Amino acid sequence: MTVYETDIPGVGRKFEVELDGGERAVVVHHHDGRREVFRRADPDADSEQVFDLEATAARQLGSILTGAHFESVDTGDLSVPLGDAIIEWIELPDDSPVAGRELAETNLRAETGASVIAIQRGPDTIANPGGEVTLEPGDVLVALGTREEHEALDGFVRP
Amino acid sequence: MAAPDLLLQAGVVFVVLAIGGALASRLGQSVIPAYLVAGVLVGPNVPTLLGYEFVLVESREFVDLLAELGIVFLLFFIGLEFNLERLAAARDRVLGAGVIDLVVNGGVGFVLGVLLGFSVVEALFLAGIVYISSSAIITKSLIDMGWIADPESEAILGVLVFEDIVVAVYLAVVAAVAVGASGGGGGTADLALSVGRSLAVLAVLVALAAYGTPLLNRLLDTRSDEQLLIRVVAAAAGVGGLALAFGVSEAVAAFFLGAAFGATEHVHRIERVITSERDLYAAVFFLSIGIETNPALIAGVAVPLAALVVVTTASKLLSGYYGGRAYGLSERRSTRVALALVARGEFSLVIAALATRPDIALPQGETIVALAVGYVLVMGLLGTVLMRYSGVIEGRVVKSLG
Repeated sequence: MTVYETDIPGVGRKFEVELDGGERAVVVHHHDGRREVFRRADPDADSEQVFDLEATAARQLGSILTGAHFESVDTGDLSVPLGDAIIEWIELPDDSPVAGRELAETNLRAETGASVIAIQRGPDTIANPGGEVTLEPGDVLVALGTREEHEALDGFVRP
Repeated sequence: MAAPDLLLQAGVVFVVLAIGGALASRLGQSVIPAYLVAGVLVGPNVPTLLGYEFVLVESREFVDLLAELGIVFLLFFIGLEFNLERLAAARDRVLGAGVIDLVVNGGVGFVLGVLLGFSVVEALFLAGIVYISSSAIITKSLIDMGWIADPESEAILGVLVFEDIVVAVYLAVVAAVAVGASGGGGGTADLALSVGRSLAVLAVLVALAAYGTPLLNRLLDTRSDEQLLIRVVAAAAGVGGLALAFGVSEAVAAFFLGAAFGATEHVHRIERVITSERDLYAAVFFLSIGIETNPALIAGVAVPLAALVVVTTASKLLSGYYGGRAYGLSERRSTRVALALVARGEFSLVIAALATRPDIALPQGETIVALAVGYVLVMGLLGTVLMRYSGVIEGRVVKSLG
């Protein structure tokens, strides 16, 4: 991806970002903080203004685009703030030492401090699983605990 | 304390500017023609209507002073934005378009001036007036129309920067030549002395721009915007005034001073604090040109004015189109360059104002000012209108060439 930067005398600076298929996003920074965003479909097309933003709105949009404002959801690494405790997902590998054993038998909570609050097995969710549930490779354990407890759990379920 | 009259006059000036500006933006037009018309309407030259004198602005001192500051800050700002490295980087692409623009329009203006019965020096003024496009009008239109994001804006602004530099040199030379030519005996010695003195002052300013950056950085080093503003205004007014005292164009001195300040680390802050001063004083400058203009005189030059408008619109369209092609743009985008560059404005008026300066006082100076005012009124409006209807015109051009 190439970004072209040009001075616009008396106005500010212009940035052109090459996108797929010859399309370009054009951003004009005015000296007074105003930001305009244009879309140019192809080199012969005229740029169409998409946004005309004041300085504050531009910064907010920019931080959203960089992901600094809101984290986008990634199921591989999802966490929800809950005081010190957080909820994390962890998938049991095929050769996990706990696979094939009942939950109570693994003594998981006593060993790591983290509690398994649900198990996702394929399309099924086993909510609030009892100690008799047998863990299987590929199960996704939804666990509640502090960061340290999650790290311990991570080490516990991996070979 | 100033007489109460003076404050009232200032009130009238700014109320008139405010009304003119509001009307212009309501009509989607540039403010420069509106300020000119406003000036004509409140000036001493307006005819009495139904036995009622409309003369509202009689005291010229403060208008003259603010107008002078307007010229100084217009050029100072251009100097601030002037950047040698940036220019060198774009040189190869802009040079072709810039030279075509200069040769065609300057040449046409000079020839027209001679044909219209002006002296060589006066024709030189006319050449400058029709050559220089309006950065203020064009840049604003580029933003309003959204062309600012398209490749043609780079060519257009490149040509405008090239024109600015040419005009800085042009003003220095023309002012010196005109002062020398009007210097009593009009001998070559006078001319040489005038040109030499002008070059000496400019050499000092160029040296300041080249070697004075550390010194200027220290002089401008303050956290307070207020102090920065006062220091910048002090420098611009002081240097401009000194230049005038030496018989050098204050506009040119301001340009080089701006370039010197543009090399400092404070350049962006200076731009920020000075922009509103520039806009305020420049508005008064346009108004003051209008005040000086006798509408009867414009009516008297209607025929040469029409010739000037028709011929130089054509020449600018032609030079703009081929300039765009030389820049490497498509036919359609080159047509846009041509249309955009038609607007003339602030610098044509700066040049015209020079024609009536007391130490230059060209024999036909009044006529030149009247011509320039009429010319900017027409070309300022025409340029904006042409850009607005560019869609239709581009289509025609591409079809006729295809």
